Amino acid sequence: MKYITRRNTLKLGAAALLFPSVALAQDPVAILDAAFDNWRATSSHAVMEMTIRTATGIRNLEMESWTLGDDKALVRFTAPARDAGNATLQDGNRTYVFNPRLNQVIQLPASAMSQSWMGSDFSYDDLAKSESVVSDYTHTLLQTRSSGGHKVYVIQSIPKRGVPVVWGSLVVSVRDDYVLMGQDFYDQNGQLVRSMVADRVTTLGGRPYPVQLTMSSVATPGQWTKIVTKSAEFDVSFPTYLFTRSNLQNPR
Amino acid sequence: MLASLAWRNIWRQPVRSILSLIGLAFTSMLLVFMLSFQLGSYDTMKIGALGLFDGFGQFQPVGYDDDPDISRLLPEWEAILEAVEIKGVDAATPRASSFAIMAKDETSFGAAVIGVDPAREPLVSNLSTTIIEGRYLAPEDDATIIMGEGLARNLGLVLGDTVIMLGTGNDGAVAADVLELVGIFSTGISAIDRQITQMPLTRFQETYNLGNAVNVVAIRGADFKGVERAATDLRAHATENGVVYLDWKELQPELEQMIILDISSNIMFYIIMVVVVVFILLNTLYMSVLERTREFGGLMAIGMRPRQIGAMVWLELIFLSLLGTAIGIALGAALVIWLEGVGIEIPGADEVMAQWGMKGRIYPDLSFLSATVAPAVIVLSIVVLGFIPYRRILGLEPVSAMGAA
Repeated sequence: MKYITRRNTLKLGAAALLFPSVALAQDPVAILDAAFDNWRATSSHAVMEMTIRTATGIRNLEMESWTLGDDKALVRFTAPARDAGNATLQDGNRTYVFNPRLNQVIQLPASAMSQSWMGSDFSYDDLAKSESVVSDYTHTLLQTRSSGGHKVYVIQSIPKRGVPVVWGSLVVSVRDDYVLMGQDFYDQNGQLVRSMVADRVTTLGGRPYPVQLTMSSVATPGQWTKIVTKSAEFDVSFPTYLFTRSNLQNPR
Repeated sequence: MLASLAWRNIWRQPVRSILSLIGLAFTSMLLVFMLSFQLGSYDTMKIGALGLFDGFGQFQPVGYDDDPDISRLLPEWEAILEAVEIKGVDAATPRASSFAIMAKDETSFGAAVIGVDPAREPLVSNLSTTIIEGRYLAPEDDATIIMGEGLARNLGLVLGDTVIMLGTGNDGAVAADVLELVGIFSTGISAIDRQITQMPLTRFQETYNLGNAVNVVAIRGADFKGVERAATDLRAHATENGVVYLDWKELQPELEQMIILDISSNIMFYIIMVVVVVFILLNTLYMSVLERTREFGGLMAIGMRPRQIGAMVWLELIFLSLLGTAIGIALGAALVIWLEGVGIEIPGADEVMAQWGMKGRIYPDLSFLSATVAPAVIVLSIVVLGFIPYRRILGLEPVSAMGAA
């Protein structure tokens, strides 16, 4: 059995040499890498709106975000007035939050990473761990389907042994132009916990981009969080101090 | 007639009868004591575990138990507080709680933060008695906090330090505050000492944008059983106010499971004790039936029917077991009543007991159940098994019986 698998791998390897694009299209890791590259590029700067529908009502927040590479991100809230100034900084595996009322930067303890981010259906883990999915999980291509003139790859990701992750498995949908179309989050028992869907894809910053994403939890029907990207630019260069704690507290 | 014969027969062999009685009495006494001790230790455990923080019962919004989200609120909690008018309930206190990040300089830890009414809370929870440094929250407090010693140590806090609290308010917005540490408690339960903090309710409501609402109302009575008996009224009171009432089993299901596990393992032991005593006694009595074969032959020869003789022997058994267990119950009850006053200290068990919020002594609790169930089982088994000597007597023939050795 093992022998056969190895032979198949060799065949695939040979195919990759002969037809690189075909092999890329079939390799789930390559698809995911390309999707995340499309999503954040080497760097990105975006202006977004977040709408949170809860049992008690609707909140609208505006924010500005900067990302660099896989592991640096800064999100600063700009509206409404009572939320403005709050900011979240991800630097490697550390996450910091800034609160203007306290005028303090706080590093989040591991136990707080699963908490809701600004009252939304996203958690701090979503911010910090979105890209480590590629390395922390093993991926298999479940199916390829057609949708709106595009092919959509459906990839199942199962955590690698010994890696501390939150989810039992993930199912990620990626369009053939590497637009992230959706992500389903399953628990250890294989139950769907929540899902994120790209509702609208347009061209943004010179690339096809999922400009509207909606996250909803199975446990709270009728409640969701929608993030709309109003504008974005990719592969821009930032000053190095942008992703530092001092800049988080005192933006230059 | 048969009864007085049987009674006289018992005292024809006083030494043997008294030895049997002592065996029976001692076993019954032991069983009464052990059951009372066991049931009493459960009460001590329940009071310790629930009295520390949860309360003997709680009123909660529907669904709060499954998903204790800050947005599940009791806006009409003042009406729910009227539960104190129910017989058996002496105190009620409102609480609101959430998860927050507690930070000091570079260090931060997640913890539960509970807004409490400093005046009412000590009437329901014993937490205020476990303060080891500083003081409990006071009614005039504003931006203050108390926490367990584990959390204070982890954060490197000493009394008078300020701690930063960062959570998510009821509306989803950031709830942030700076609070002064005024007290440190040590319950001996490390999960509580590392994860629980309390602050004044009014400040909590302001910071977490709760208005005047709270999340739960916890209650307590002078007597644990009194609150258990009031459960029906408490549930009715909850329904009236559109909320749910949770009793101790619902608040701490693991405590109930532990008690059930403990009971079932002990029941095995009790059964063995009862079986041993019953068979020893039965053996003695069967032996006496065997050696009285000549006597029974004589009785039959003068006109007594085997059935009557059998009934007489059966009655002897019943009298003996009733007398023995009655003495046992009396002795056991006397022992338990004495110990109910002074309690029993179990050396070396302090740490195990602290896990359940218990302190020092266990007080046995004499109840009708603990006093009668084990002796009743003994009497009943003897009555049923008395059929064995009875059957032997039915098979006797007068002539051969009189000729027996």
